[in-house]
Amino acid sequence: MIFQNHTIEFDPTNCVGCKMCYQACFIDVIQWDAENKRPVFKYMNECEHCNYCEVSCKKGCIKVIVNWESQRFIQSFDMYK
Amino acid sequence: MDKNNIQETRLSADILIVGGGIAGLTAAVAAKEKNPDAKVLVIEKQTAGYGGKANKGGGVLQWFDPQMKADDFLQYHTPAVACYLGNQNVTKKYIEMNNDMIERLDRWGVTIPKFKIPTGPMTFMVGIDLDNCLKMRNTAKKLGVEIVNKVTISDLLTDGDKIAGAVGYSIVDGTFYVVEAKTVILATGSQNYRIQPMWSCGRGDAIAAAYRAGAEMRNCEFGNFSQLYKKNTLQEWVFCENNMFNALGENVTQNFRRFPEADISATAIREWYEQMSMGKGPIHLVMEGRQGGLSAWDRPYGVPFWDADHGKAEGRDPELEMCPGFIGEQSPLNVDENMESTIKGLYGAGDVSYCGSGASGAVPAPPGRNRGSGILNAVYAGILAGEHSAEAVKEAEAPKACEGQIAKYKEEAFAPLFKEEGYRAIDLIDAVQKVVGPVEYSVYMSEYRINIALRKLEKAKAMVGNLKANDLHGVLECHEAEAMLLCAEMMFKAALMRKESRGWFLREDYPVMDNENWLKWIIVKNENGEMTLSTKDIPIDTYPVGLPRF
Ligand SMILES: Cc1cc2nc3c(=O)[nH]c(=O)nc-3n(C[C@H](O)[C@H](O)[C@H](O)COP(=O)(O)OP(=O)(O)OC[C@H]3O[C@@H](n4cnc5c(N)ncnc54)[C@H](O)[C@@H]3O)c2cc1C
Ligand code: SF4
Ligand code: SF4
Repeated sequence: MIFQNHTIEFDPTNCVGCKMCYQACFIDVIQWDAENKRPVFKYMNECEHCNYCEVSCKKGCIKVIVNWESQRFIQSFDMYK
Repeated sequence: MDKNNIQETRLSADILIVGGGIAGLTAAVAAKEKNPDAKVLVIEKQTAGYGGKANKGGGVLQWFDPQMKADDFLQYHTPAVACYLGNQNVTKKYIEMNNDMIERLDRWGVTIPKFKIPTGPMTFMVGIDLDNCLKMRNTAKKLGVEIVNKVTISDLLTDGDKIAGAVGYSIVDGTFYVVEAKTVILATGSQNYRIQPMWSCGRGDAIAAAYRAGAEMRNCEFGNFSQLYKKNTLQEWVFCENNMFNALGENVTQNFRRFPEADISATAIREWYEQMSMGKGPIHLVMEGRQGGLSAWDRPYGVPFWDADHGKAEGRDPELEMCPGFIGEQSPLNVDENMESTIKGLYGAGDVSYCGSGASGAVPAPPGRNRGSGILNAVYAGILAGEHSAEAVKEAEAPKACEGQIAKYKEEAFAPLFKEEGYRAIDLIDAVQKVVGPVEYSVYMSEYRINIALRKLEKAKAMVGNLKANDLHGVLECHEAEAMLLCAEMMFKAALMRKESRGWFLREDYPVMDNENWLKWIIVKNENGEMTLSTKDIPIDTYPVGLPRF
C-alpha cells in the first residue's frame, strides 16, 4: 500500500555506519549517504513497516513508528453498509 | 544525469541469475555445485540476502513423511487442490524431493527447526529461520558466485529464439549494465500490486520484460491470491477462515467448509463478500472452539522480528474483524519440467513461474493452498533451473547480443527521467490497485465485473509510456507500475476466457467446474505488441491421476 504515513525515529548517537539498515530495506526506502556514512530515510511514504531496518541495527538507532490509520484496505466496504 | 553521457558497464557470465531471493540463491548454489567452472552472476535489484519474501515472517516449510508415497499425495491433491489443472509430473517430483531439499538447505547452512505440525491432509510443516537467504548468500559466495546489488534488470536480450543476456541499470548511480550470458534464470518473484505490506517487493517488472521478449505466460487467471487479515492492522491471520462468524452470530465457515481440507481458500473470500453484500457483515473471528494453530510466540527463532512485527500490532484489533486483503502473486512465466521458458536458455525459478510451471494446479502462487510450499517451491525450481543450465552452458556457444536491441532498451530504460512532463507512477499504481483490490472484481469474478475492470485498465493505459520520474528510484517505480498494469490485464483477459470455476478460480456466472471444455491451460503471449490468448489441452491421460469416472 504505497503512500502511507509511517515514520522512523533515527538516533544517530550510536550509529557506526555499518550499512546494515540500508541493506536490509527490501524496497529501497533507505538511501546511503556515503560521505557521512549514515542512512537517509528518503522515501518514507513507501515504507511498508517490515521492521527489518530496526531489527538489523545492532546499535538500536532505529525505531519504526507505524501509522496504522494511514494503511488502507483497497476494498469496497462502503457499498455493503 | 546527462542524457548523452550515461555510464555503461559490460559484463559476461555463463549463467546470469536475476534476483537474489531464495530461488535465485538456490539456483546459484545448485549451478555451482553441478558445474564449478561455470561463471555464475547474480544481479539483485535490492540487496541479495535481504531482498524478497523468504525472510518476511512465515518461517515454515512444508514437510512430507518419507513413508508417504508421492502417488498417494497426488490422489488427494489432484482433485482437491490442483483440480486437475496441474502438471502432475512437476508436483510429483516436488513431493519426492521434499526430504532431500530440506537436507540440502541444512547442508547449505540454513537453520531448520524440526518441530512438526500438521497443516492439512497428509502434510506437515517444519520451521525455517528467517536468515535463510543470508545463509544461502554466504554459501553462494564461498562457491565463487558473483553478486551485484542495487542493479535492476529491465529487459532481456535475445538472439533469434535464444536468450543472449539482459540489460539493466544501477538504482544508485544510473550506470547502464549490459550482461551477455549463455543462460538467464529469472528468479524475480511474483507480482503483488503493492497492496499488502510484506509482499510489496513483488513488482513484476521482470515478468513484463519476459513478456516483451516473447516468452509465453500460463495460468495468468490464477494471479489473484487474497487472504483474510485483521482489519485494523493488516496482520496475517493464520487459520482464521476456520472460525468466521457474521453479525447475526452465525458460523459462516460452515457454508463453505463442511469437512477438513487444505486451508487458505478463495471460497472463504467469496463467503466474506456474500455475507457483506447480504448486509450480514462485518465478519468476525470467534475464538471459542478455534482450531489450534502455530502461535508466533511458540517459535524459538526470528524472535526480534516477530517481537517487532506482532508487538506493535498487539491490542489494535480488539473487535477481531477480518477482511480480505488482495495480494495477487501473479507468477505466470510458462516453463517446462526443467524450468525452461519458451525462449531457449531462459529459465524461471520460484515465484516468477509458480503458476506458469503448473506446479500446483488451480491455485495461485505459494502458499496457494499448501502452507510452507513457497520457499520449497523456490528451492525446487532453483535446483532444477540451476542444474539444468549448468549442464546446458557446457555445450552452448558464447551468445551474440544485438547492439540495436541494447541501444533501444537503454533509451527506454531512462525515458521517464528525461520527460519534460508526464504522469506520476503513483497515479498509475493507484488506478490499478483500485481495480484489483475489491475482491468482487479480482477473486469472485463475473463477466460483467471483469469487463468493468478491463475498461478501467484500458483507461489507465493512457499513462503507459507517459510516466515521468525525478530520480532513479522513480524510474524504477515507473517501470514497475507499467508492469503492474500488464499483469492485471493478463489476469483479467485470461479470467474472461475461462468460462467455469475451478479450484481457486471462482466465477459467479459459471459456478461449476467444466472438465469437458476447460481442461485447458490458457496461454498469454505478446505477438507484435498485441496480447494474444490461446489454450493448450492438459495431457491428463499421461498423468498418474486421471479424471473421476462418474
Ligand atoms: C509475509 C510472508 C510470509 C510467508 N511465509 C512463508 C512460509 O512460512 N513458508 C514458505 O514456504 N513461504 C512463505 N512465503 C512465501 C515465500 O516467501 C515465497 O514463495 C518465496 O520467498 C519466493 O522466493 P523467490 O526467490 O521466488 O522470490 P522473492 O523472494 O520475491 O525474491 C525475488 C528477488 O528478486 C529481486 N528482483 C525482482 N525483480 C528484479 C529485477 N528486475 N532485477 C533484479 N532483481 C529483481 C527482488 O528484489 C527479490 O530479492 C511467505 C511470503 C510472505 C510475503
Ligand atoms: S521498515 Fe522495512 S520498508 Fe520501512 S524503511 Fe525499514 S526496512 Fe525499509
Ligand atoms: S544499522 Fe544502525 S549502526 Fe548500522 S548504519 Fe544503520 S543505523 Fe547506523
